[in-house]
Formats: sequence, structure tokens, C-alpha cells
Amino acid sequence: MDAFELDVRRHVYFSVVANGGPPTTRETAEAFGLPEPDIVDAYRRLHDAHALVLFPDTTEIWMANPFCFAPTPHRVTAGGRTWTGTCCWDALGIPSALHTDGEIATECACCGDPLRLVVRDGELADGADTLCHILVPARRWWEDIGFT
Amino acid sequence: MVYLRSEEHLRRWLDERGFELGATLEAPTMNELARAWWRSRLDPGWLPRSADESQAILAGLGLTGDFWALS
Repeated sequence: MDAFELDVRRHVYFSVVANGGPPTTRETAEAFGLPEPDIVDAYRRLHDAHALVLFPDTTEIWMANPFCFAPTPHRVTAGGRTWTGTCCWDALGIPSALHTDGEIATECACCGDPLRLVVRDGELADGADTLCHILVPARRWWEDIGFT
Repeated sequence: MVYLRSEEHLRRWLDERGFELGATLEAPTMNELARAWWRSRLDPGWLPRSADESQAILAGLGLTGDFWALS
């Protein structure tokens, strides 16, 4: 990952925090004063490096982990916004990434009953009896990062 | 990676979908993992971790063995 790609990635993450969602390639091109194809290439390289995840066959950002931009059962209130976490790991990662407290409103994968977890000062203050299950072995996570 | 309310719900979820058991963490352990994994993600000077560094985070929480091998 070269310096330009790191700059683009930083811009994406800072835009996510500032605006609650990721910038389009056009918006990022305008911010950098560069042709959009340069940013399209950078987004694709960041996707290939697992630094961002694009929706299949697009240049639209699906995940800037731990933040997700498609619906999931995991809604995370932290830092004055409500975010979406890709999975149970990422949902708990949002308060961590923002260095703030957070509340996760989610559901049991089995029955759909609501579950609530609270992170306060980095510790799990509520929801400690909840289980987190990972189906896919670690070496295969990136075969389908939307199903782990 | 999903949340489940109990071991009973985990077993039922696996059975109903025909999934094999993977790895189960209690939420406090997952929170520790999330803190270690994601806390630097928004740092202005963030750089990608090496596979060895990521593996060390997992090992630091006792997450070792074939299931947790990143490569």
C-alpha cells in the first residue's frame, strides 16, 4: 500500500466519521483534485489489499471495517451517530475505533430476539452473557467477507 | 459472525441451518478482541498490520490452533 493509497484510505475513513457514510469516487476525486479514474483505481487497490470492501462489481464502498454501509442486524450507537456493524466482531469494534462508549442493538441469530450490549470505558458493561459465534476458519474469511 | 443469546440457541441455529460448529467466544472476550483489532483503525498514521502482527493479537487472547490460523 503506497502513500497515495494510504491518503485515499485516510480520506475515506475521515469522511465516514464526519458524514456517517463513505465518499463516492467522484467526491474523493474532487477532494484530491484528481481525475476520477485515479481514485477508482485506488479504491480497487485498497479493496484488493483488504483495506476497504467494495460492493461486488462496483466502486461503491460496502465496508470500511468496522463500519458497514449495507443493512445488518447490528446497529451501534456511538460518538453521536448510529452506525452499522458488519458482524458481531465489527459491531463491538465501532466504539473501539471511535475511542468512545457505545451501545449495540442487535438480535439473536437463532430466534431474532433483541439483544443489547453496552461498552463503557472499553469494557463490556452489559450483555456479557451473549455469545459470539464464528463459522468460518480465519484463513477463509476473505473468501467471502460478508459471510464469516 | 453472529450474536446468540445462549448455548441452546447456538445449537438450534446450527442444526436448523446445517452449519458445523465453528468458534464461540463470550462477548467480553469478543470485546477484548475488537479493542485490540480495531482501536487504531482511525489513527491518522494507520498502517496495515502484517499477518504475524494480526496472528499475535489472536494468540494474545488465547485464540490459537488451526481455526484461528490466518494463513
